[in-house]
Amino acid sequence: MLFGRKNRKPIAIPSKKVKEWKYTTCNYCSTGCSIEIGLDEQQKIVTTRGHAGADVNRGKLCIKGILEHELFESPGRGTEPLIRDKHFDSFKPTSWDHALDTTAAQIKQIQQTYGRDAFAIVSSGQLLTEEFYTLGKLARGVIGTNNYDGNTTLCMASAVSGYKRSFGADGPPGCYDDFEHTHCLMAFGSNLPEQHPIIYWRLKEALEKRHFPLIVVDPRVTMLAQFADIHLPITPGTDCVLINAMMYVIINEGLQDQAYIDAHTQGFNEVKALVQDYNPKSAQHICGIDEDTIRNVARIYAKAPTAMSIWTMGINQSTHGSDGVANINNLNMVTGNIGKPGGTSLSITGQCNAMGTREWSSCSGLPGYRYLENEQDRNEIADFWGIDPEFLPKKRGLSQTDIFPAIETGEIKGLWIVATNPMTSMPNTARIRKALEKLDFLVIQDVYQDVETNQYSHVYFPASVWAEKEGVHTNTERRVNLISNVLPPYKNSKPDFWIFNQMAKRFDQGQTVHFPESPEEAFEEMKYLSKGKMANGEPRNLDISGMTYDKILAAKGIQWPYREEDVGLKGQARLYSDGVFPTANGKANLLPIHFYNNNEQPCAEYPFWLNSGRVVEHFHTRTRTGKIGNCNKFSPTAYMEMNPDAAMALGVKHQSYVRLTSRRGDAVVLVQLTQRVPRNMVFIPFHFHDCVNRLTLGLLDPYSRQPAFKQCSTRIEPIDQAEAARINAERRTF
Amino acid sequence: MRSPVIEPEKPQTSALDVGVFTPDISAKTSIPEVGQEQVGRSNHWEVRSEEQAYAYLPETPSEVENRYGKRIDLVELTDNPVGRSLFINGNPEVGSNPDRNKQHGFFFTADNCIGCHACESACSEKNDNPAHLAFRSVGYVEGGSYPDYKRMNISMACNHCDDPVCLKGCPTRAYTKHAEYGAVLQDPDTCFGCGYCTWVCPYNAPQLDPVKGQVSKCNMCVDRLEVGLKPACVSACVGNALDFGVIENTPENRQQCKTSIPGFPSPEITQPNIRFQQTKSLPEEMTRTDDMPVKYHKDENGEYLPVVDQKVGKQRHWNLSKLNSRENPLVLFTLLAQGALGTFMIPFIGALAGIEMFTQFTESNFFLPLVILSIGMTSLGLFMSVTHLGKPFRFYRGFNNLRYSPMSREGLGLALFSAFMGLTALFLVPSNEWVMSILQGAGVDSLMLNTHFPWASVVEVSGVLASVSGATGLYYMNQCYQIKARPFWHHWQTASSFVGNSLSIGAMVSGVLVLIFFNAESLPNQVALEILGAIFLLGLVLEALGLKAHNHTLNRSENEGGAAHYVQCTTFGKTYLLRNALLGFNILAASGLLIYANVFTVNEPLYLAAWIGISLMNIVTALIGRALFYNLVIPTTMPGAFFWKNKGFEQHARDVGLADNPACGVAPLSH
Repeated sequence: MLFGRKNRKPIAIPSKKVKEWKYTTCNYCSTGCSIEIGLDEQQKIVTTRGHAGADVNRGKLCIKGILEHELFESPGRGTEPLIRDKHFDSFKPTSWDHALDTTAAQIKQIQQTYGRDAFAIVSSGQLLTEEFYTLGKLARGVIGTNNYDGNTTLCMASAVSGYKRSFGADGPPGCYDDFEHTHCLMAFGSNLPEQHPIIYWRLKEALEKRHFPLIVVDPRVTMLAQFADIHLPITPGTDCVLINAMMYVIINEGLQDQAYIDAHTQGFNEVKALVQDYNPKSAQHICGIDEDTIRNVARIYAKAPTAMSIWTMGINQSTHGSDGVANINNLNMVTGNIGKPGGTSLSITGQCNAMGTREWSSCSGLPGYRYLENEQDRNEIADFWGIDPEFLPKKRGLSQTDIFPAIETGEIKGLWIVATNPMTSMPNTARIRKALEKLDFLVIQDVYQDVETNQYSHVYFPASVWAEKEGVHTNTERRVNLISNVLPPYKNSKPDFWIFNQMAKRFDQGQTVHFPESPEEAFEEMKYLSKGKMANGEPRNLDISGMTYDKILAAKGIQWPYREEDVGLKGQARLYSDGVFPTANGKANLLPIHFYNNNEQPCAEYPFWLNSGRVVEHFHTRTRTGKIGNCNKFSPTAYMEMNPDAAMALGVKHQSYVRLTSRRGDAVVLVQLTQRVPRNMVFIPFHFHDCVNRLTLGLLDPYSRQPAFKQCSTRIEPIDQAEAARINAERRTF
Repeated sequence: MRSPVIEPEKPQTSALDVGVFTPDISAKTSIPEVGQEQVGRSNHWEVRSEEQAYAYLPETPSEVENRYGKRIDLVELTDNPVGRSLFINGNPEVGSNPDRNKQHGFFFTADNCIGCHACESACSEKNDNPAHLAFRSVGYVEGGSYPDYKRMNISMACNHCDDPVCLKGCPTRAYTKHAEYGAVLQDPDTCFGCGYCTWVCPYNAPQLDPVKGQVSKCNMCVDRLEVGLKPACVSACVGNALDFGVIENTPENRQQCKTSIPGFPSPEITQPNIRFQQTKSLPEEMTRTDDMPVKYHKDENGEYLPVVDQKVGKQRHWNLSKLNSRENPLVLFTLLAQGALGTFMIPFIGALAGIEMFTQFTESNFFLPLVILSIGMTSLGLFMSVTHLGKPFRFYRGFNNLRYSPMSREGLGLALFSAFMGLTALFLVPSNEWVMSILQGAGVDSLMLNTHFPWASVVEVSGVLASVSGATGLYYMNQCYQIKARPFWHHWQTASSFVGNSLSIGAMVSGVLVLIFFNAESLPNQVALEILGAIFLLGLVLEALGLKAHNHTLNRSENEGGAAHYVQCTTFGKTYLLRNALLGFNILAASGLLIYANVFTVNEPLYLAAWIGISLMNIVTALIGRALFYNLVIPTTMPGAFFWKNKGFEQHARDVGLADNPACGVAPLSH
């Protein structure tokens, strides 16, 4: 000891006394990080750590993962099933049997009176894949409604749609390892450091070993934009113009990979013809990126030995979402960058198991990327489930964003919402409120009984959370990973898997269709359905038949396809490396993408672009992170980034409240002045209830039906500061 | 044109594909084989299975001395044996880290920090910290204009300084700088929650928990270090910004090893053990998003220095209610103690100096009540200072660090002042007719005391001792505030104010008794009034001169002192003006009265009433002044974020009730 000290002071450092580590996969975003949960002798959860041997995260976790083990006993968790007659009555606790019986009876009643499709189901990207599969079987094979969709419509629907249109099937063809091989990375509307910190770390590791150009397209100067070699501060909603202009340069300068185009794609001539309308000289005035920069970026991308694109909600959440994805795919196809190490079109997925729901939930089709529109697919599934093929619809029904308007018009009378919170997450909250009020019957199945949508429910099912259950997730790079059951369900909550099985028993057809008792048995059914060939005679890509829970655990996640005959524990890192696509003729589609501008744009009346997005410390509608103090404290209340020059003109002060209005409604936020946003734009994190989505328009993408959350306009009004503070405090009761 | 499909070397079998990670074995650090992670390591921490290179401390040679000329191997500076256990949680095992006796420090690549909070949450998770506390915090500075905008995030914890001002300041000796890793560790069970370490630390490292009433801080994860792992925050970093190792060692892949970045306080204050890389150009002006009126401007050498940021404009406000704060006990403590000092010392020293009126007074029966009054004021002051502690019942620990802490010395000085005044009072008893008559009335045989023992000399000795102790206490009271990390206080105005208040309040309180004595004895009190009035005036003038110089310095100062002065002139602008006006008026009035009395004959009751009026006004002036002193100080802390570590938001959250939710991360104030 220094400074003349002889006497020792005790050194006390909290010691967690872990007796056992249990393996699980993070339940927040779709990076798919492996977590070990530490239990002490009393089997109490005491700590958590990243699994150092897992390929995805290599021991790292983001703030949410580090603190995820604190969510099991957070305030607001559902403890008992609740029931009431009318949404304005008070809830009464009830038994599971009564809650389930009532719900089943209501579903049957509504279906008998108004038709099968008058009862709709909206699920999530948060459940485990076996649960999605089971819910799909229940919805399609037993209850038999065609109005069944997931909240993935709010996040990844455009990626799904774009992949399907370009390649014939969903499924991101790339992987994180592509960062180690690429020579140019272009990020469209994706802010990895905030949204996917661990994927950012993988990118940073690659960049520190071997620098390659990083090009970021984002109207906001995010950390990623700031770290980019080239930042393109694009005009919102005009990504297709930028890409078309880039392809104009590439094709007219002969930089395209003609051999790849000829061998593996179709439609090049149409694209070539279309992009002639997108000379950078004119395109620059639409997309806001000057022509020299467009040319420069196009040349860098095309000349790189391999180049890859990633994107997130900046592309997906727009009226050109599906088109944007298809156009990114176009860019990569004309430069020969699909299925190569370092050359790919990689959508960065949002929810932990958005991929699982896309693959197995039957939301937009049938399990295993099967189409309702395809007779063979319908027959396979009907045969396997033991139902009449005619019971299945021949065309996909309404998407989540069309289900709510259908409630408005009276087409839909009853709704079952599973693990999603449209009262906070859907655009135009006022409209959602009105729709929910109109329902004859609403059942909410959620971990938290204080989830805002529960205000309108008649029955509430308390669900178990994350590691209180067992099953698998699929991550952004198609890696299937295991969630072990670490804890018993909280109080009288039940795993979603159990709830679906119990509901099935209450329907006649549920008696004949087999519902396995355990998730692992359901996984076996999925494995069986993943085998075989696609419509074009090629082996199915979404093949998980080689996997078992034990193998997944040993490998800490396996990427599909991973077939029965595969040896070792490694799945296939990339799709379409052989240049064969799951289209009828095996060729990928180059699609000419026309740009039209149907966005609500800043005008004299509403002079600001309204942009929204994520912050790292929160997940979705804060039902989880809002209650974990060490997450929530970094943004405990709603705020808005605003340009100081714009604020000066309006007399708006830093850290004061303003009221925002749009053509839909109003919101109160605390102002954070920063040059991160342009003078004509404000940015508001979307996590907060009764906030940004009271303002958003959410025009729908024509293909994916995904709302354009990020492109609408708003106005700033002064508000009495004390009044605003009161409103704000009331809206942040958790 | 490039190869159309796949690279030829890429095998087709999925089993050999690159989907699974293989550790990079070329890294300098030797990574144990799977299953061998704990082999050869002590039992202080369980190394993760398949732990990655980033988590292991590198085994690289280190320098002998750091850039300040301090030895890096610290064990020779102590008489400790090399292989000595740290006894973490009582564990007697000696750590297996071969570099464990070398000074370690953090290395922060500011170019890379993404502000993702992983370091903060890993730290809070490991240390079980509630939301309102954090051993490590990330704030940021930003600058430029869209889209040429730059934000630089700064992650900061304790820098385990060569010159740990926290250790030196702490009166309880809760801090230890260990030869092991040079870690500056603090023991919350020793701490009594005075928060002085939080004042002196320039980096906001010690965390005062208002709920528990004690300080805790970064422990360098010495448990992880003992087994050769980097601290939890470093291991958690996903931006590749935080690193850790033997100080002055530049990590692999880094080119720079400098001691400062924009927003970081001058490393000269404590010689912190942190090094930086920051190579990307930043705008010439970087601002803070929190409510501190400080920004940073690039000088001709490319260094960023603090400048005042006029965040709340130039309008002057009262904000009188904000003067009522958790520092109230300290306002009262300092004023009472200073007043007590003057009360006792003015007549006592005056008598020693042979001023007749004071000799008359100290020989009278009225001196004993004055000493008792002074003891009362000191005791009340000390009591107030104890209530300011997080753990008041541990007050006796305040004298544990006389070797370094001005606070310990201040406390001891004032305690001895009280004690010697107590003796003085005791020794005054035999010569005090009132007490003696009461004692006789009570039947106590006081003849014993009425011997020819030289009580007056004994009183003189104990009085001198009390005066010396009191003056020492006052000296160290001033030293407590001469803190480099708090430039608003780090000025001789603090001393002039403390002495000035001693004189003005002392003259006032002692004056009351002196005048009563003069009236009781029917002596003319004109001279007494004039002498006391002159002392009073001297106190006011001292205070005013100090304030004038303080204002002059701060107006030209661009550091946190200037920023505090900016707040003084805006948020508290009207209050500040009022105090200055009152002080000016008091000086004019006091001088006027003194001159008037010398020129004209005075109406005694009226003249007395005028002095009483000025005295009362001076109490108000002193209270406002001292409250401003405590409320205005802006420390050289790290920049905060918009919510976290933003005092403005914390205050707002408390005001509007957001802080009622513990998940808000703002603790309600207990005082």
